[in-house]
Amino acid sequence: MINHSNYKYITSDMKMSDVIFDNPYFILMLEHFEIELTLQEKTIKQICNEKKIDIDLLLTFANLYNGGQFKEINYSFDIVPTIVNYLQKSHDYYLKEKLPKIQFYIQELYKINEKSEIFLLEKFFSEYLNEITEHLNFESNVVYPYVINLFNMISNKNNSLKENFSVINYKEHHNDIEDKLADFKNLLIKYLSLNDEQNIRRKLLFNLFELEFDLNIHTMIEDSILIPIVERMEQSKENSL
Amino acid sequence: MSKNIVIAEPSQIIYEGIINILKIESLNINFYKVDSLTEIQELSLHHSFNIVLINPALINNQIKIYKAINKELSNVQWLGIIYSYFDKEIVSLFDDVITINDSSDIIINKIKKILNSDQNQDKEQFEALTERETEVLKLLVTGKANKEIADTLYISTHTVISHRKNITKKTGIKSVSGLTIYAVVNHIITIDNLKE
Repeated sequence: MINHSNYKYITSDMKMSDVIFDNPYFILMLEHFEIELTLQEKTIKQICNEKKIDIDLLLTFANLYNGGQFKEINYSFDIVPTIVNYLQKSHDYYLKEKLPKIQFYIQELYKINEKSEIFLLEKFFSEYLNEITEHLNFESNVVYPYVINLFNMISNKNNSLKENFSVINYKEHHNDIEDKLADFKNLLIKYLSLNDEQNIRRKLLFNLFELEFDLNIHTMIEDSILIPIVERMEQSKENSL
Repeated sequence: MSKNIVIAEPSQIIYEGIINILKIESLNINFYKVDSLTEIQELSLHHSFNIVLINPALINNQIKIYKAINKELSNVQWLGIIYSYFDKEIVSLFDDVITINDSSDIIINKIKKILNSDQNQDKEQFEALTERETEVLKLLVTGKANKEIADTLYISTHTVISHRKNITKKTGIKSVSGLTIYAVVNHIITIDNLKE
């Protein structure tokens, strides 16, 4: 949904409100950071200071939302709770808001198109929903608690590690989740012919694009920022033993 | 149409050497020299390219980033430039490699082969499924495994996989559930076939 040709690098002295006028998706990013609107004339730097959020981290995320590329920074372990909280908030957005909405529109489509292909589309989506829910719950219930536990141990707040688990193997799922989302878009755009007076297909597609956009960033944050930090934390734990 | 090749190689000698070998043939190639993965990403914002020749040392500690870029630039072929020992795991991340002992002919042929297959791919994308691909699709969406499809059609599993790749390339659909819907829409199967 982002036009890459408008790509502009975000810096800390920009006003947060201006950044949103350029790209409304930042509202979603702020929501995941638990930064509320009514931003007045504050700059990104001011807001980060108020909310005690690492400026480099927020700028990295912001530039991902702006269609930019991931930039490698050697973050300190201190940002781990912020990242985990952010990812957890985005899970809520997928599970409580976006996925149910997509399912609702597919069901609406079936009501006015009782054809076998829409029946199968609904079935495909409910299988997908189970799969992604399971994946997100695994992250929320196993991966993130492990990461926080490891962080607490490293920062000496807690000396024992509850689980013996390594983060390396869990990201295989990501590709599969993104591929299937692309399949839904392909079917809806290229192949399915529908009776659709209420433009449900468009609403459905917009929701799929929005979900995909945020999910891609979510994956990039996990694979390129969180996991490398966790690997470094695991290394530092090994060394301290 | 001219082709674009990115050479990610810090050594000036190797870089110049590769260009000289490829210049002998009138291949009409533009070369870009970069020194890091980040530069490849930046370059990809404004240029499309066919091949990246890359020194494995540049991805050694950045495999995740490499994989992400590789996925993003799905039409690009990645060739490792091997002139010292690298872990098999790293070498296996490339589509192919050229080594320091390769003759000019071998290098030119590898590059030519990729550039030519690129053109074929462009054409293929607009074609409908062949009869054989349709047969494979039919069996696939009724729940047959690759081995069963191979046995039914008297072809090798390897051929089944290659048909499946082409089906996905042409339709844009990867999952079996998605392909099932495609097959129903295009009357390749009916929903009753699925219940059998």
